[in-house]
Amino acid sequence: MSQHKSINQLQNGETATIVGYLSDEIPIKIYEMGLLPGVTLTKKQQLPFNGPVYLRIQDNPNAIALRKSEADLILIESIL
Amino acid sequence: MTEIKIALVGNPNVGKSTVFNRLTGLRQKVGNYPGITVEKKTGSFTHQQTRYHVIDLPGAYGIHPSSLDEEIVYDVLVDQTNPNHPELVVVIGDPFNIKRAVFLYQQIREMGLPAIFVVNMMDEAERSGTSIDVSKLENVLSTKVVLTDARSGKGIDQLKDALAFKPNGYAPSFVIPEEFTAATQYIREHTGQRNEYIAWLYLSQKQNKHLNNNQVEEITTARQTHGLNYHRLQIREALARHASLENQLTGVIKDPAKKKQYATERADHVLTHPVWGYVIFFALLLLIFQAIYTWSGPFMDAIDNAFAWLASSAGEWLPAGPINGLITDGIIAGIGGIVIFIPQIAILFIFISLMEESGYMSRVVYLMDRWLRPFGLSGKSAVPLMSGAACAIPAVMSARTIENDKERLITILVTPFMTCSARLPIYIVIIGLVIPSEKILGLDLQGLVLFGMYALGIVAALGSAWVLKQLMKSKYKSYLILELPTYKYPVVRNVLLNVWDKTKGFVWGAGKIILAISIILWVLGSFGVDERFTNAEDVVRSEKPGISETDFENEVQSQKLEYSFLGTMGRFIEPVIEPLGYDWKMGIGLISSFAAREVFVSTMATVYSLGGTDDELTIRERMAAEINPNTGKPAYNFASGISLLLFYAFAMQCMSTIAIVRKETNSWKWTFIQLAFMTGFAYIAALVAYQLLK
Repeated sequence: MSQHKSINQLQNGETATIVGYLSDEIPIKIYEMGLLPGVTLTKKQQLPFNGPVYLRIQDNPNAIALRKSEADLILIESIL
Repeated sequence: MTEIKIALVGNPNVGKSTVFNRLTGLRQKVGNYPGITVEKKTGSFTHQQTRYHVIDLPGAYGIHPSSLDEEIVYDVLVDQTNPNHPELVVVIGDPFNIKRAVFLYQQIREMGLPAIFVVNMMDEAERSGTSIDVSKLENVLSTKVVLTDARSGKGIDQLKDALAFKPNGYAPSFVIPEEFTAATQYIREHTGQRNEYIAWLYLSQKQNKHLNNNQVEEITTARQTHGLNYHRLQIREALARHASLENQLTGVIKDPAKKKQYATERADHVLTHPVWGYVIFFALLLLIFQAIYTWSGPFMDAIDNAFAWLASSAGEWLPAGPINGLITDGIIAGIGGIVIFIPQIAILFIFISLMEESGYMSRVVYLMDRWLRPFGLSGKSAVPLMSGAACAIPAVMSARTIENDKERLITILVTPFMTCSARLPIYIVIIGLVIPSEKILGLDLQGLVLFGMYALGIVAALGSAWVLKQLMKSKYKSYLILELPTYKYPVVRNVLLNVWDKTKGFVWGAGKIILAISIILWVLGSFGVDERFTNAEDVVRSEKPGISETDFENEVQSQKLEYSFLGTMGRFIEPVIEPLGYDWKMGIGLISSFAAREVFVSTMATVYSLGGTDDELTIRERMAAEINPNTGKPAYNFASGISLLLFYAFAMQCMSTIAIVRKETNSWKWTFIQLAFMTGFAYIAALVAYQLLK
């Protein structure tokens, strides 16, 4: 899995699909909110000084914000 | 008439409260769950000969809680002996996140509870071209599905009809994996729980508060024997459910082929922009505080005049004497001192509810997270800190949405430093007495000092948060996983109901304290056992033989006060507060305002009127004329005034806050540390200020 990027490595506007997680110890809320393997998301922006990232999930009008530390745990594969 | 208890359950941001308000209208009340302060909203209505008692449970993503308010959902639903345990659950979802809502629905059905399913916000779905195959969804869920748009009221009648539906024939969609069946079997045998999914929940929940010690021990045993980690079980379940939901829900939701850009996305491009987002947020804060001070002006003047009229007519109508003083200066002035803050509190809560209703509050959390983290707080602490500018009590309660224990505790501990409305009457009176009414660079000096007091509150809150962060260890990793819902026009009805609840709670709570304190003070100030109290006339005659008749009256009155029970208490603490520049009369104010800060001004009014014979003066005139017997200077001079301002800025002078902190932290230790830290810090700050300035 180590060759996979995490959400943090996405550029603004880049779209990717979740492929897995870096660790088992991630909050249950990540699963419950639907950040699951196979889900396609787009990173819209990030706040300065390593602030939280703003993500859009495909087909969902609601957005999701994650801290850098959570974004690091979610592995993705870029869609070109 | 049959009576049925129903519970509304749903993910956050699906308009659950709007459905609740539609169903129950004004027949609702806000209370607390026994033992905890999570707000409980209940209401009732009658439909087709059936009386429905509705409880609005806090929003949750699943049955496994990540924060305190989510714990309620599990506690109420799993425990059949819980007084709020429903006979029917209404699960509410929104059309864009059906999967998440079905996830929660299936967990509830598998706990053995009958449930129906509501898809709310259908108007928003139709506008974006999304539609739902209701009969297909009904098949998947084995229940009645109702489409609603609670904002416009569409579908609410159908929902009421559907409450009579008796769901049955549900087949569990989550099959306990084989490697865990031995453990669930053990739980079923040793805790008496017959439902296998609930047995699984016993194992996968961090806490099972409703179970007795034996049962909890059996669960620990089962976990140890089978090497189970509750967190892993939760993840197993979440992944398994999502995998099967993917197939089950195929074809239920029809999305339009062409994706339109959502208005929310465009709005967020500016509102959460790394630069403009902050500019807009701070401009909004400025607007809110401007509004609190300018819009409330006419209302506050009107209230002030009304109470002044009430006090003076009561003063004329009642015979002169101490009872007159109790009613006019103590009770009427005291209650007036609370009522006058209704406009400010209502305006603040109007803004806060508008921000919550519109979805902007989540953006505030997103924007502030990075800046609050260095202080050991989370973006979610922004909401309690902002509400703290009105009143620490609802503010401390709103900290329950913070998932991380340490961040939540720090937020609760520092929120009372924020300048709440109860500090305002003291600030305004003292600033009016000791700060000259001048202009500096075109700005009103008194206004600048008041602004400075607000800034001081924020600095104290963040500074002590930083100190606490260094001292405390957290068991859990802190995280932020935040949903940013689409922007919506606020529902006026929801905003008004919220403002009404919050304002009523504040006025009622504080009003009761003021009334009680005024009466206690009056009693303590009117009685005494000391010789100099019971025999005041003779003592004065023998000590000052040549005294004139008016002076004699005054002398007797003030000596009586000094040696009454109240005066004895004030003189008892005088050695402690003398270095701060206060006399024993102000000591009485400090003691009584321990109940609530705003009591200080009305206490001083009662004390000064008890000690004098002249009933014509206003509170402020009395305070300005008062001489500190120790220094011979005015009691409220520049040095003692600044000292008082600092004392009230930092000291934990509010019993209601102490009570709510005790409840919310469930710890006497932290409550006591907070009390000692705040009051100790206040004492030192006031001491240093007075000694430097005198």
